[in-house]
Amino acid sequence: MRVPALAGPRARAVPLAVVLGVAALVVSGARSGAGEPARLEPELSWAAPSWAHPLGCGEGGVDLLALVAHASLRAILLAVCVALVGFVVGCPLGAAAAVARGRFERAVARACDLVQAFPTFLLALVVLSAVRSPSRVHLGLVFVLTAWAPFARLALAQTRVLRDQAFVEAARAIGVTPLRVVVRHLVPNLLGVVAVQLGAAAAAVVVSEAALSFVGFGARDGVSLGVVLDQGVSAMLRAPHVLFVGAAAVFVTSVSLMAAGRAFDPTFARARREN
Amino acid sequence: MDRGGRSHAPPGGVERDKGEGGGGRIAGGRVAAALLGRLAAAALGRLAEAALVVLALATLVFLALRLLPGDPAALVLGDQSSEEERAVLRGKLHLDEPMWMQYARFVRGLATLDLGESVRRPGTPALDRVLDAVGPTASLASLAVLLGAAIGISAAVLGAGPWLGARRGWVDRVATGLAATPLLAFAPVLTFALAARLRVVPLPGDPDAGAGGLVFASGLLALPLAAHVARVSRAALDDVARAQFLGVARAKGGSYARVLWLHALPASIGPIVTVIGTQLGALLGGAVVLERLFERRGLGTLILEAYASRDLPVLEAAVVFSGALFVGAQQLAAAIHAAVDPRVRR
Repeated sequence: MRVPALAGPRARAVPLAVVLGVAALVVSGARSGAGEPARLEPELSWAAPSWAHPLGCGEGGVDLLALVAHASLRAILLAVCVALVGFVVGCPLGAAAAVARGRFERAVARACDLVQAFPTFLLALVVLSAVRSPSRVHLGLVFVLTAWAPFARLALAQTRVLRDQAFVEAARAIGVTPLRVVVRHLVPNLLGVVAVQLGAAAAAVVVSEAALSFVGFGARDGVSLGVVLDQGVSAMLRAPHVLFVGAAAVFVTSVSLMAAGRAFDPTFARARREN
Repeated sequence: MDRGGRSHAPPGGVERDKGEGGGGRIAGGRVAAALLGRLAAAALGRLAEAALVVLALATLVFLALRLLPGDPAALVLGDQSSEEERAVLRGKLHLDEPMWMQYARFVRGLATLDLGESVRRPGTPALDRVLDAVGPTASLASLAVLLGAAIGISAAVLGAGPWLGARRGWVDRVATGLAATPLLAFAPVLTFALAARLRVVPLPGDPDAGAGGLVFASGLLALPLAAHVARVSRAALDDVARAQFLGVARAKGGSYARVLWLHALPASIGPIVTVIGTQLGALLGGAVVLERLFERRGLGTLILEAYASRDLPVLEAAVVFSGALFVGAQQLAAAIHAAVDPRVRR
């Protein structure tokens, strides 16, 4: 992470600016005249990029800009929901485990290890195969099953460091109740570090969602980045632009979510200044 | 452990170790025996844990297919099927029994490796179809792990050593960039460029692609793993860089390469093995994506096929089996870690 030049509060603004830029692009695409991603124009099948269709057309003449914009918007919405639920569940769990110490702490740590290394993809395949027509709600539920673990693990590690520090001991010594210690002294110091994981978790959800719909397990509405990639692969030689658009969309969406997570990092601006 | 090993040693063994020249061999043998014993004990504990995890996964599969809304028989046969047809299928899949009996049958099937017959290909046990598909996936994944570890560790050593000079920073940057790039984004593009356009490598889905196709596919799968391994082993190398034994090794006249490979790397093998273990889940997902991309035979393709044709027994068997493979590989990584690194032994 030794990127030179940027310094101070400006450095914090950069990832946010990246995300806002992507969001603006997405919204403009979603709003643009081409309109609905469901609109097909068969005579434009696999058409190369043009002024009317800046990203070209895919299977059945679907406008790729509209499809990509709608797909990323829905993916980001799903990812943010999943990440927030993981955050809300995992962060208190990890902090409580570290404060309680002993057996509960070990159990939570072990559970985090197990869940985090669990093949989420397999789990998703199982749950989705039992549903007649998978929707984004089902996808979200599957992702939430494992999304809490990284948050809990981070909160646990961070609280372990914090719980022995002088200011926490001082608070205890003057008779502050344990609950108040957690709420007033531990959680504020915890949030920044754990919040960084929000971006990483959201990016992972975007990629998993695209991967699931790429292999045919996605939401039934067919508006997903994975569908764009699927079209691109099947028409690889006829219309390579579809493949590039899909790959770039997945990359940009996941990287900008990760960058957005870094904007929460309280040590981020400081570390940059020191370099 | 230690005490047990000592009680079996001949009396006076300690003095002999110190005195005679041949003592080194005996001590070496004893150390090896102790190491083996430790490995065996760790392996037993891990086997039990792995069995538990697999059982949990299998139970989840079992419940998912039965408790979620929707009649499995209707899922398999489609909406147009008659009630009699569904009843016959329900009887065949034992879906008409009480839940606890179904579960008991299911667990017994797991233990005896008899997971029922394929619905779509009557007469073929589900397990046979799974075993057919395991080979290609296992070779893909294991080659990817080997390649990923080799590339990642070499990159870390390059980045830690003095050979690249000021350009060393690029190793870190490339690793960070690669770790942030999803396989889903770069695999199709690389395939298009290398296999479809330039024709440097064969398409791995081709039946006569042979070794080249396998190496290409597992190379794609290995790249994200290599990036993670490179970052973690770089951090681990930096961690031990200030250790005294490295200074001693340098002072004895060892070259940078020798010190890094022989002294620093073994000390930092723990985090490397751990990161490979945690990346196995992603590797499995990546393997499914690649098999779909290349239309290559394997567990992923089998799962997708069973899903598309609603072949529940095959789906169950394939998912449980790949879960077992995954857990086994992960426990193997943990066991290696425990055997190599004295700090993690319990």
